[in-house]
This record gives sequence, structure tokens and C-alpha cells, in this order.
Amino acid sequence: MQDWSFARAAAPPVIEVRQVDKLFQTREGPFFALREVDLSVKSGEVFGIIGRSGAGKSTLLRVLNLLERPTAGEVLIEDRAITHLDGAGLRQLRQQVGMVFQHFNLLGSRTVYENVRLPLRIAGGLSQGEEAERIAEALELVGLTDQARKYPRQLSGGQRQRVGIARALANRPRLLLCDEATSALDPETTQSILALLRDINQRLKLTIVLITHGMDVIRALADRVAVLDHGRVVETGDVVDVFLFPKHPTTRALLAESGVEMQTAPAALETRVGPGNGVARSWRLTYRGAAVATPVLTATAREHGLDITILQGSIGRVKDEPYAQLTISFAEEDEERLRAFCESLERREVHCERLS
Amino acid sequence: MSIFASSEAAASAWSVALATDYWPEIREGTVDTLIMTGVSLLFTVLIGLPLGVTLFLTGWSQRSGRVAVARLQFWIYSLLSFLVNVLRSVPFLILLILLIPATRAIVGTSLGVQGSIPPLVIAAAPFFARLIENLLREVDRGVFEACRSMGATTRQIVIWALLPETFPGILAAIVVTAVALVGYSAMSGVIGGGGLGDLAVRYGYQRFNTPVMLVTVAILVVIVQVIQVLGDRLVARFTHR
Repeated sequence: MQDWSFARAAAPPVIEVRQVDKLFQTREGPFFALREVDLSVKSGEVFGIIGRSGAGKSTLLRVLNLLERPTAGEVLIEDRAITHLDGAGLRQLRQQVGMVFQHFNLLGSRTVYENVRLPLRIAGGLSQGEEAERIAEALELVGLTDQARKYPRQLSGGQRQRVGIARALANRPRLLLCDEATSALDPETTQSILALLRDINQRLKLTIVLITHGMDVIRALADRVAVLDHGRVVETGDVVDVFLFPKHPTTRALLAESGVEMQTAPAALETRVGPGNGVARSWRLTYRGAAVATPVLTATAREHGLDITILQGSIGRVKDEPYAQLTISFAEEDEERLRAFCESLERREVHCERLS
Repeated sequence: MSIFASSEAAASAWSVALATDYWPEIREGTVDTLIMTGVSLLFTVLIGLPLGVTLFLTGWSQRSGRVAVARLQFWIYSLLSFLVNVLRSVPFLILLILLIPATRAIVGTSLGVQGSIPPLVIAAAPFFARLIENLLREVDRGVFEACRSMGATTRQIVIWALLPETFPGILAAIVVTAVALVGYSAMSGVIGGGGLGDLAVRYGYQRFNTPVMLVTVAILVVIVQVIQVLGDRLVARFTHR
């Protein structure tokens, strides 16, 4: 893979996870839920952690606010080692880190208002007026200002999750942890919660770490992603890179399961377009950003006097970035001319990869 | 005709039995029963609620990840749980008798309304504590996790999350305990405890005055009904789930 990464603003990391292990003693013997995990989350970004159930993502998220204590390694938040925090120091850290849960975990006996107030009461130090201000602010952010007097039971799943988010934001944290925040919601509600999280990330410059088993969530929200498998980080990088050029089999499998896999093996193409249709000389072209909206492909083909057949293609968006991925073949058999064609494409920021 | 005549005779026996001197005593007994139940219920809740919370916090569902803390929890739980089990396994009548010296030491007498209250509390508090322990265990683990993620202390979790979440259940447990206390308070009549039970024992058992006994039973039934119906309404009023 070539060097493709569009430089992001080099912000200092908010979270540094260094060589973290989490060892559980089970009846069947010791079991590593996390193994030698290294992560670095930058300020203001949305960082996704994806993996199957049991991969350790839930444990990893909980290590970040010490709901789970790592058995080895170090976690730094804003350059402060938190692994050894205890008592008051630990509670203070947690008050500065919001957390959103899959099943909302609201108090059913309390109104929306009281639920959002809970973290403020726990942190203490605010007058009733200041509390009311903060609660109004948080409810406004999630669009529930007029629901403050209701009980969670009276709200839909999406609204309950909004309450959960408002509660997590009440203490004005700089870091938000999302534990499968949309997994219990229907697709439409999922979209609205994802949009809300994206909005919060941009408006508040809030760093978000989320875990999910769905690539679509990563694709909609995350800037960077780490793929977790059996407690290890097997792949990490910019979401667009990971989507377009997945390296690890687990990543590919997750992409395929989510229906967002864009790569197709030559053998599969063969069955689709029939044998002997130039599949043997098929190439995959990948480009993104502004180039997607330009006639880069036909312009280059014309320059080289080549005819191309498009066997398969997809054009889409990962978060805010458009991409195109096309599988093409040539009638031309002259290797020299093909190579020259691809070199021209590479100069125009189109990545070429021979499939066969 | 003969059946009619005999029932007429029975009815007149009833009116004789109840028309004369018994009503003041029955009224006094009713008041005593209400006082015994009410006061012992108050102390039962005051002792049983913290006991139940402690049982829950030291129980298996809340064991700490840290070995030293978990060991401490285990010993506290084992001790309290054993005490609770002992008190709950002794029949109330025997407990009444065994506790006579302790009762004298606490309230100065083992007789009457006063003398009934300590054994009632000692019998009911462990029962109530177990009800509370079980209630708290039913609280969604997610609620604890949410509270801990906000940096809450255990005390804050108990006061601001656990007790509000289980409040309707606690009310229901209080109702169950109140009903049990009405029954227990009647039993204390056997050793001179006062109240409706005392009346029922003295007239119904010792003097074969069936009408007085039946009236006291009827009043007990009414008291229990009222407690239950009012309790159910309160529970419904505070249930938001």
C-alpha cells in the first residue's frame, strides 16, 4: 500500500494506552481479555474500536475510566497516568469522562431532569441554579428540552439514549466513551443518534471513543479505527484507509458482514461476468476526495488510447470523505502500456492494484 | 323451624356476649395492636433497612476485585447472614420467651404493649432485611456501572440510585412486614403481650368466649386488609417503570 494518508492536524494524544493486558482468572484457567494493547487517541477525534463479541472491546473501553483495572501496562489521559489512581482521584477522573451505554442505564424512578442531574450531584460543588443551567444546556444539546419532566418509561429508545448522552455531557467532559451506544436501537434511530454524536463531536470539540461491532457505525462516525481480535489490536489507522485497504482477515470479515466490503476477489468476478472476459487482466482502482468528482479515469484512458471495461464499482462516502473503487479490465495485452496507464493514474492520486 | 329457633338462640347469645362489658376492652385491644404494629414497624425499618443494604453491599453480587476488600466483605456478610438466619429460624413464640430478660433490660418490662415491641422488632428486622437484600440484588447492574462511571461513592449510589430505584419495592416490603407484625403482635398475647391477641387468648382460649374471639379475629382481618389496600395504592403511586 502506498503512502496515502492525508495529514491530519497533529494534535497531542488525549489517551495513550501502552502495552495493556487484562488477565481474568476463570475456572478454565487464565484468560487474556486484552493483550499488549497499544492505542493513541488524539484530541477532538472520534476513535472507533471494532471487534466481535468477546474480542475485548468492552473491557478496553472500561480500562479507559478504570471500571476495569488493567493487569499490566499503562493508560495515560492528558499525560496523566491513571492506572494507579484510587479513591478520590479516581472519582474525579471519572467525573471528567462521560460514558454512554448500550442499554442507556437510566434511573427508571427518576425524571429525565433528575437523571441528567445525577452526575452533577455526584460531582457536587454546584448551586441549584447552576445545576439547572447545566441540565438545560445538556438537554438542549440532545434536543429534549421539552421532555424534562417525563420518566424514561414514557420515552422511545432513541429519546432514552439522548437522555443518556445528556447525562454523560452534564459535567462538560472532554472525553466521551460510547459503549455500543446504538446497538439496541432500530436503524432509523441509530442514524439520528449517530448524527447527534457527530454534531456533539464537532460543536464541543469533544473527543469520542466508541466501541461497536458494526462497520456502518465506524463508517458514519469515526476518524480512526482500531480492530480488536482476541484481545489484540490487529489493525489500526484512518477509517478510509482501513475501509479501502483492509489488511487483516478479521477486518475483511467484519467489512463483508456489514455489507460494506468493496473488494471482490477475481474468482467471484469470473462468475459474475463470465470466463474469458478480461478478468485475467483486471485491476482495482481506488481514489477518494475531490478526484471522485472528476473524469480522471476516462481522461487518462483517452491519453493512453486504451479502452476499459468496468466490471464492478462502488462510489460512496466514509464519514465526510467520498471514495470510488472500481474494478476494470483491458482488452489491451501489452504490459508496458498498462503499466504506463497505471503510472499516470497514480500521479492523479488514483491507487492501482492488479488483482490477477 | 327448629333450625330457625336454634339460630335465634345463638344470635341472642351473641348479643348478650357483646352487648355488655366487652366493647371497651376490644377497642383498647385494637388500639394496642395498632400501636404495637406501628412502633415495631418503625424500628424494624430503621434497623432492617441498613442491615439489608449492608447484606447486599457485602454479598456475592458486590464483591470487590481487590482480594483484601473481598475478604472483609465475605466475613461481614457471613456473620450478619448467620445472625439473620438464626433469628429467622427460631419460632416467634420461643423467641418471645427467650428474649424476656433482654426485653426487661431494654424497656423495663416483658409485659403489655411495651414488652411486646422489642421481640417484635428483633423477629421482624431480619425478615425485612432479607427482603431488602433481595430487592437490591434485582437492580440492573447497568445502573451501578453508570453511577460508578460518573465517579459516585458507594454511599451516593445507595442514596441516589439504589433506594430510589427500589422505593416501590421497599414500600411493598414494608406492607408485607406490617402484615406479618400484626400476626406476630397477636401471638405475643400468649405471654401477656397486650392487644387483640391478648384478648383472643384470654377470652377465646381460656374462657371459651367464642364471640369475643371471633370479633377480635374479624378486626385483625380488617386491619390487614386496610394495610394491604393502602400499601398497594402507595406502591402504584410511586411506580414509574
